[in-house]
Amino acid sequence: MSAGTICRCWLALLILLALTTGSAFIPLGTANLFVSLGIAVTKALIVLLFFMELKTSSALVRVFAAAGFFWLMIMIALTTADYTHRTDQRVPLDQVR
Amino acid sequence: MAEETLGFQYSTLQQERETVTLGMWAFLATEVLFFGALIAAYFSYRIWFGAEFIAAAKMTKVALGTANTAVLLTSSACMAMAVTSHEAGSRRAPVLWLIATALLGLSFVVIKGTEWFLEYQEHLVPALNFDLARHGGVAEIFFIFYFCATGLHALHLLIGICLVCWLAFAIGTGRLKPGSTTRLIGLYWHFVDIVWIFLFPLIYLAGRNG
Repeated sequence: MSAGTICRCWLALLILLALTTGSAFIPLGTANLFVSLGIAVTKALIVLLFFMELKTSSALVRVFAAAGFFWLMIMIALTTADYTHRTDQRVPLDQVR
Repeated sequence: MAEETLGFQYSTLQQERETVTLGMWAFLATEVLFFGALIAAYFSYRIWFGAEFIAAAKMTKVALGTANTAVLLTSSACMAMAVTSHEAGSRRAPVLWLIATALLGLSFVVIKGTEWFLEYQEHLVPALNFDLARHGGVAEIFFIFYFCATGLHALHLLIGICLVCWLAFAIGTGRLKPGSTTRLIGLYWHFVDIVWIFLFPLIYLAGRNG
């Protein structure tokens, strides 16, 4: 990895940080969350591919690196799917008795 | 690289490099799940408590959080420079880059500590002085998450700072030849950076315009 690449990555990371903080103050509704998470994923990919050298690593190392994130996606997807589909309905007491 | 000593269990330097990198990634995968569980908890709270939870996130210090993110991203760039210069065979440059990395890491902890102190003054620390009547129960749940997540992250960073200081010392005194150790500690440092990249928008940027 050359010093030039590191410098460009660092600049890109700081620009993305400015974008994500700036975007949080623009009212976009739920899109705010997805914009900030999208930028976070982009920043993480820059760190993973260049600083952590996954771009030049062997396929086996990349699979190991992807495995943790893959299982995490399953955990988060199932957890959020569960919680988004729960309803908080109050049942009158006499129906429970 | 020619000076590097080969572990007895390896037949080539390339094999050693691949093996230790793979081992480090196996460890990092467990760390991904460790912090991932916290983030999954965040999402379930956020869905379940909705607007009240997001309103609590607004009480965090967004300016300090943004500054801290910039500090940590810069420290990662310094760490990458240390790894590159060490592999190029230099001895002075990696030590200086590592010192810069450790100092930036320490500034992160100091800024984080300042935030915690401000939150203590605002009676936002659960179990210590949380003002339930003023902030409400959902805010308490948010701040329990906040202190667990940032606390565990800061602990990881402190471990990283110790490792980086040791590494700078070992390279500076000539005890450590160019090899995999610097890269492995680099991987750990960058991982701690990635955790923060995700914690930052979830903690500081939620509900900023509502």
